[in-house]
Amino acid sequence: MRKMLVLAALMASVTGLSRAARAAGWNMPVGVTEVSRDVYGLHMVIFWICVIIGVIVFGIMFYSLFRYRRSKGAQAAHFHEHTTVEVFWTAIPLLILVAMAIPATATLKDMYDASEAELDVMVTGHQWRWHYHYMGEDITFFSNLDTPREQIDGTAEKGENYLLEVDQPLVLPVGRKVRLLMTSSDVIHSWWVPDLAVKKDAVPGFVNEAWTRIDEPGIYRGQCAELCGKDHAFMPVVVQAMEQEAFDTWLAERKQEAAAAASGVDREWKLEELVERGEKVYGSICASCHQADGQGTPPTFPALAGNQAMMDDLDWHIDVVVNGVSGSAMAAFSGTLNPVDLAAVITYERNAWGNETGDVVQPAEIQALIDP
Amino acid sequence: MWEVVKSVLSAFFGVQREQRRRRDFEQGKPGTFIVVGIVLAMLMVIVVMAIAIMAAG
Repeated sequence: MRKMLVLAALMASVTGLSRAARAAGWNMPVGVTEVSRDVYGLHMVIFWICVIIGVIVFGIMFYSLFRYRRSKGAQAAHFHEHTTVEVFWTAIPLLILVAMAIPATATLKDMYDASEAELDVMVTGHQWRWHYHYMGEDITFFSNLDTPREQIDGTAEKGENYLLEVDQPLVLPVGRKVRLLMTSSDVIHSWWVPDLAVKKDAVPGFVNEAWTRIDEPGIYRGQCAELCGKDHAFMPVVVQAMEQEAFDTWLAERKQEAAAAASGVDREWKLEELVERGEKVYGSICASCHQADGQGTPPTFPALAGNQAMMDDLDWHIDVVVNGVSGSAMAAFSGTLNPVDLAAVITYERNAWGNETGDVVQPAEIQALIDP
Repeated sequence: MWEVVKSVLSAFFGVQREQRRRRDFEQGKPGTFIVVGIVLAMLMVIVVMAIAIMAAG
């Protein structure tokens, strides 16, 4: 009777503890996809197998230490081998491992089966932001960190989603199989969202596949999971899952925006317009290396404010931004920014922080350079 | 020969009786154990591959 009570109390405290651990965020999330629930289930099964093994092994060990201690006159046994016991304790772990491998392999096979996807999204890692391309929909955009600089510098109170918020999240429909094609433009990154149980390396020159089918609308946050340089911690992943109807509306809006952005290429832009637009582009793309005040962090990221070589040679400046500098940290932006944004940011750099060249770079010039 | 196979298999498993180990070291030639070991290792690879192909198919 007493033993039963002790056992019941033990069970109650164990379940209470595991519930508290989950509530406190110590455990991994159950997530919102079938795969993430499978992964969580596997994790818990294996965890409890480990707990049971630990209790048995340490129980026997501590009991033996106590029961057969020398002060009670215990004598050590001297024998060299015991084949039956050895076979026994080799076979049991083998069986346990095989028993764990069967459901784990089934889940892995499921995770790797990206066939029959209804939507393809190309995910490209950049230093230090993610880029999304909805294949066949002609929609592409960068997803930049949106945490205010003041919070990072510690001069303002940190927000709830500190370093886990972006200006434009990856928007996906619920209930549809989405294939994610991962690659990188510079170094190895890793796209990780715990609630989706997706974590896949983005490797330059390779395309890795992953897939997800989200069950519930909501916002799911993750991070880059492969150390990728200075701002590795500042390139979060945010996925916004919405109902099919809302997703279609969003898609149509994005297409209109893209068309509006492209239409600006042909017309003549004024200096003020370009500087205003360029400041925004600079803030989200360039400032992480060259700093908001244009001072850079020499010698790796040169200062742009007061950069005489840059101001003297307009063509060279355009070439550096459009085509990058091979062998340095400066990436080519012709594939990732549209001609209007490129013209705007170059114009901004030539007319900000006391760089008073007065130069205006027209989007049409950039267009002609990229697409002769 | 059968005794050599049994010794190699128990080496794969990691458990061997002391008296058998002693006998193998006194009577056996290293060459036979190496050859049987390589052949059985290849056999194991084939068996594992066959199981994997069956499970995947």
